[in-house]
This record gives sequence, structure tokens and C-alpha cells, in this order.
Amino acid sequence: MNGVHDMGGMQNFGPVVPEAGEPRFHAAWERRAFALTLAMGGARVWNLDQSRAARESLPPAQYLASSYYQIWLDGLIKLMLERGLITREELAEGRMHEPPVPIPNVVTADKVTAALARGSPTERPLAGAARFRVGDAVRTRVLNTPTHTRLPRYCRGKRGTVTMTHGAHVFADANARGQGEPQWLYTVRFEGSELWGSDTSAAAVHVDCWEPYLEAG
Amino acid sequence: MPPVWYKSAPYRSRAVIDPRGVLADFGVTLPDDVELRVWDSTAEIRYLVVPERPGQTDGWTEEELATLVTRDSMIGTGRALTPAQRPRAPS
Repeated sequence: MNGVHDMGGMQNFGPVVPEAGEPRFHAAWERRAFALTLAMGGARVWNLDQSRAARESLPPAQYLASSYYQIWLDGLIKLMLERGLITREELAEGRMHEPPVPIPNVVTADKVTAALARGSPTERPLAGAARFRVGDAVRTRVLNTPTHTRLPRYCRGKRGTVTMTHGAHVFADANARGQGEPQWLYTVRFEGSELWGSDTSAAAVHVDCWEPYLEAG
Repeated sequence: MPPVWYKSAPYRSRAVIDPRGVLADFGVTLPDDVELRVWDSTAEIRYLVVPERPGQTDGWTEEELATLVTRDSMIGTGRALTPAQRPRAPS
């Protein structure tokens, strides 16, 4: 989706402002929103890319005006409403009206540390051979996928060179649609001038691209 | 967890087009002949920078050199500490 979350190259957001002491949260509710989002992710009703898609498809003006954890909370509410895990009435009143919907997995407190340590590896076996090799000239396809994609707008239709191959990984675009087929994953180097002309201080930008993003350059 | 600035619109929008400007926001100014290469981790692969070895460290052990490595130097938004900047070892 060509959403406002895909902001690489946008200008006028102001300077990066490091904070003294780097507090992880700026209000108690942020800590709870973070924990709720992780716990519900562990319920396995949706996958990581579906949760990203939910956040990215919030209304653009709302997204830009929201803090990071407000976006997480709004994305979580959206996912839970869409899947019937809560109703609007329950949300408004903060009380359960309907019996709980069964979920595949309940993340209880004793499971959290192990689950976080385990992570969620995305590498998968895939038969056949990767189409491209290190050193190959490639060009990104001009895609305007209306659903979740990880190919940034700033590097569509651009020429680059494969610099690394990573094996096959869960393909985020398909995973967000609930389809799990893996695709070969590459790191592609784009010259700064190819992406931005002369208005850049980047000599090169490397982007991780699944094979469906690429054609021979 | 990453710091808030790492997830903020200014960093996400600007790192790929004006990394020199982003470094300046961190108080890091590099000579013009230092080439800046950005890695935008769009998949689940994560990268870290092996910081450039500072001067005045000839003969240092790996453990001693590790005391000069900071988180930001591995993100690429800062350089490794110099020996003079090194936090004092507990005595």
C-alpha cells in the first residue's frame, strides 16, 4: 500500500531528536499497549505482516498525528474488531458482553520470556534455485500493491546490483494476505544518484528485496 | 527495544535520502570524503555495523577494544569511542 508509513525520502518532518536517558515508554498506557499487542500476536490469530498491514492502513491523517504506541493500539483494536474478538460496544464500555472467542494460543506470563528469546525466524526451505546471484544487475518492478508490501516507494523501477543472497524467507506481501509461500530474498545495492539524483548525501542505499520485486536489469 | 528516535518519522523519512543530515542531528560530522552507505532493512534480516577501530589502540586486546563499542556505533549513527572517551573501568 502506498501509505504514509512508507516515508523514506519524505521531507519536512524536522530533525531527529535523541532523548536523554531514552525512556522506553512515555506513559503507563504505552507499556500496556505494547504488552497487549505482543500477547495478542502470540495468540496466532494474525501474523506479523497482518499486524503491520493493520497499522499501515489506518487513516493517513490519524497515522501521522499519532504516537508510535497509539498506532500500535489502534492497529490492535482494528485487528480484534475485524476478527470478532471484541465488539464496538465492548470496546466503548470496557466490559465483555459476548463469550470469549477461542484462540489458538494463550500467552501466559510464564511463556513470555521463552517466546521472546525464541523470536520468529522467517527462513524457509524452497525447492529450485534462486534466479539471481551476487553481482547480477537487477531492476525493481514498478509495483503499486494495494495491500501490504515491503518494497519502498523510493526504490521502484530502479536499477541496482545484488550484493547478498539470504536464502528463501516468508514473503511479507503474501503473508499479509494469509498466504505463506516463501520467496528468495536478496540485498540489492542502489546508487544514491539512481534513487535521488543529486539531492542526496547517500552514496548508496541497500534494500532487502524478495524475488517477486525484481527483474533482470 | 529500539529507542524512540529510531521509530520516529524524522529518522525513517530522512535516513535513506540524507544520512549526513541525520548524523549531524546526532552531533556526528564526517569529512566529505567519507562515503555514506545506508542499509534499509525491509525484510526480517537485521544488520549491525562493525565500527572503525579508533586510533591510539595499537596492541589493545579484543576485550579492551570492546569497551569502545557503543550501541549507536553498531547502528551506524555514531563512531566508536576514542580511548580518551572510554568510561573508566571500575577499580
